[in-house]
Amino acid sequence: MSGDEQKRSEISSAEPSRSRAAPDTPRLWNARLYKWAFAAVPIVGVLELGALGVQTLQVVPSGDWQAAKAFVAAQSKPEDLVAFAPRWADPVGRQEFGNSLATLEREARADETRFPRAFEVAIRGKHVAALSDWRRASVQQFGGVTVTVWENPAPAHILDDLVSDAIPTRLRVSRVDGNVEADCPFGHAGFQTGGLGSGTPVPDFRFVCPGGFVAVSVLEDASYAPRRCIDARPFGGRNVLRLRFSDVRFGHTLHGHHSLYVEAEHSMRTPVNIAFSVDGAVIGRAVHRDMESWKPFEFDTSDRAGTTGELTVDIQSDTAERRMYCFEADTR
Amino acid sequence: MKALSVGPLKLSLPSWRLPAQIGWRDHVIGAALGLAYSLWLVATARTIGFMRDEGVYFRAAVNYVNWWRSVFEHGSEALKQSAIDGPWGDNHEHPALMKTLFGISWWLFHETWHVFSDASTAFRFPAMLTAGMAVWVTYLFGARAYGRFAGLVAGVSLALMPHVFFHAHLACFDVPIMAMWVLCIYVHWRAQERGGLAWAIACGIVFGLTLETKHNAWVLPLVFVPHAFFVHRHAFWRELKAGRLTIPSSLVSMAILGPIVFIALWPYLWNDTVARIEWWFEFHLNHEYYNIEFLGKNYWGPPSPKSYVPVMIAATVSTITVILFVVGGVGRIIENAKRALHWIRGNGDRTKAAVGAAPDAPTAGAAPEAPTAAAAGAPPDVPTGHAALDPETDLLMFLGFASAIGVFFLPKTPIFGGTKHWLTAYPFLAIFAGYGFELVRRAMHRAFADTPLGQNPARRAYLDAGLVASVVLAPLAITAHSNPYGISAYVPLVGGTQGGADLGLNRQFWGYTSQNAAEEYLNANASRGAAVFIHDTTWDAWAHMQEEGRVRHDLRAVFAPHESQYALVEHELHMNEVDYAIWVAYGTDAPVYIVEHDGVPIVSVYKRP
Repeated sequence: MSGDEQKRSEISSAEPSRSRAAPDTPRLWNARLYKWAFAAVPIVGVLELGALGVQTLQVVPSGDWQAAKAFVAAQSKPEDLVAFAPRWADPVGRQEFGNSLATLEREARADETRFPRAFEVAIRGKHVAALSDWRRASVQQFGGVTVTVWENPAPAHILDDLVSDAIPTRLRVSRVDGNVEADCPFGHAGFQTGGLGSGTPVPDFRFVCPGGFVAVSVLEDASYAPRRCIDARPFGGRNVLRLRFSDVRFGHTLHGHHSLYVEAEHSMRTPVNIAFSVDGAVIGRAVHRDMESWKPFEFDTSDRAGTTGELTVDIQSDTAERRMYCFEADTR
Repeated sequence: MKALSVGPLKLSLPSWRLPAQIGWRDHVIGAALGLAYSLWLVATARTIGFMRDEGVYFRAAVNYVNWWRSVFEHGSEALKQSAIDGPWGDNHEHPALMKTLFGISWWLFHETWHVFSDASTAFRFPAMLTAGMAVWVTYLFGARAYGRFAGLVAGVSLALMPHVFFHAHLACFDVPIMAMWVLCIYVHWRAQERGGLAWAIACGIVFGLTLETKHNAWVLPLVFVPHAFFVHRHAFWRELKAGRLTIPSSLVSMAILGPIVFIALWPYLWNDTVARIEWWFEFHLNHEYYNIEFLGKNYWGPPSPKSYVPVMIAATVSTITVILFVVGGVGRIIENAKRALHWIRGNGDRTKAAVGAAPDAPTAGAAPEAPTAAAAGAPPDVPTGHAALDPETDLLMFLGFASAIGVFFLPKTPIFGGTKHWLTAYPFLAIFAGYGFELVRRAMHRAFADTPLGQNPARRAYLDAGLVASVVLAPLAITAHSNPYGISAYVPLVGGTQGGADLGLNRQFWGYTSQNAAEEYLNANASRGAAVFIHDTTWDAWAHMQEEGRVRHDLRAVFAPHESQYALVEHELHMNEVDYAIWVAYGTDAPVYIVEHDGVPIVSVYKRP
């Protein structure tokens, strides 16, 4: 008999006398616990089986999504944000809500600062992290879907959005090689899209430059999130890609973000420089280095608040290789 | 033997009552388990689409088998380098054994005998058989090492790991190398126990076949060398003191026969042998990195996060199996610690004999046919039929497990490929789980010993059956439910498939789910002759799916969203850019259909407005 078995045997033989004397002593309970500890294994097995059954029944039916959609469609305004949580449920949200509510501008937003309200459409008790500082105005439950209305404590008032203004009537694009400036006309040049590693998709209508282009597209940033922005890849060397936005209304700040396409972020090449100027006076410069992802910038334009003018944006990098650069900016 | 009289005939039938010793009946049990598993895999083969790699392997398999046929038809002409390098140069980054078997199976079971109407099932069949073989060997190994119940639970637990089940369907090498890995270690173990030339030769041949299956086999010497020297340590030291170096014959055989078998079965190596082997090593030592998501972060280069292997095991192997593994592993550690303590104190009796016995003589537990405790009339709760509860076996089991996952903790090892690269560890995880089950079973018997349930052997059998069911039903349900999205599904512990998505665990890879998009949406809804952007699916795989009627014949595969009328996105974190490209090309971000598993998007289907 092994030592353990002997000990158990002793406990066993001692049980009757002890149980008569003090049936609830901790030692006896320990012995009982030890004796029946094996039962934890079949219990776990049964619990695991039950958990599988419960989890497979937790799929949110389409009807719940549609009820939530009807509510959001009735309550939301065009300037409101509609966002889905968790992130993996975003495709389901887009499918159920459709393109009219899950718009590209909302899905591929630069940030949340411009939205006065947000309709957070969530399952599994998840939330959009960026809204955590906002004020919760209401919560509606539609079966498995929760719609929370959040109010932005300090929404930004947008005067002009350069991404929306990147159209031929508001934007002129050119390539500057030293003293020579060549116009980049807007036109149809065919899509350029592909699979993994193809980079930011190139729309068919764009400003076409010698050795480059400018177009509004959707960038995949280093967190793999979509960002609607102006695809403006530098030419390399000392050549400058120049964008001139006409009739821009200025406020107190010029606010924006810039980034490289995710795979280009890892290529560790030369930084991309962007400079904003009005009437020849630089109002701000920003530099994007690899691995900085979707990087914000903001410049004070208080001295021009209330005025309208031409905003010039110059983009340059020493190399053009893997500089799949994209930016967005607005005046507010 | 039982005698059966039928008229004048008197037949002797073998008794099916299981004796204490592990023997041929256990081979029958193991083979039956394995066969049942292989048949289940065949029955579900059509549910899983074709991986990127499978398209390549299908093509290589046909090339290889056609070359073998040409050897018989054209003789020496086929043996010229110019005739070899063409077919065998295809996919020469992986050895040829499995692809050759895929090809032979295709030629025999599809082309010649029409056993399988789908060519793909014929290609996949050898890998499915190796999965069955892995279950068989795991049962046998577990039964011999730790008892019959341990073997049974080990074999079944291995079969019911969702990722094993998924990969076991594929004409790839991950489950075959798992099977060869455990077979090779098993044969090595038997060679140490039994000795003799036959087992040594078997070691060499099986090691060669394992090398010829996949390069994971490079790691196996780290298992065999320390174990063999530990087993033969006394003889080794004795000889060393006498000025002689002795090497176990099994190791010598592996060093000689292994490479011979390896080269003999891979005609690509018959010319420029050294340079081509060097290239093979270089290719795998400097393999390009792939993307994989782990806890919400995309990894595409080394090192792997240290938590990757343990978290993925906990998230993909049934929790009851993992718990039994921990119970069994800790049980073995405690027992060996006790032995070590006895040995150090010098007062061990049987333990001391087992640990310190002359290594070349069979130990008490080493000879499988020797009477065991049960046969000698030991209490019924002592595991029966086990050959060895010795530290040498424990060491081998530990090395078999640890060496398979150990490489993923090295600083240069990238994260790519998910769990499939350490499937080789799972037979040993399962065997320890089997031993854990045995400990639990014994504890149950003790608890019921003074009750009517425990005193009646028949009722005790019900208890055993109930306990087995309690550790098998959940893995069975989880595995069955995971199909065909085996690598998207996660165990209930982490919240199932939705929980895995919440945690940011990899959704899928290899682009095989386009078949599900076709079956659920495209085949019924796509316009005739429509161009479909097939995302991560290769043209080869798409074409095979069309040949077998899984995807409508008229749908044209294209590789740019803007060229398509329908577009697929097989969801993986780093593939999000494909989604965005479709948004830009189609002008909408709303899919028309989503293939889901438990509500989690697997494939989004877009239709051009």
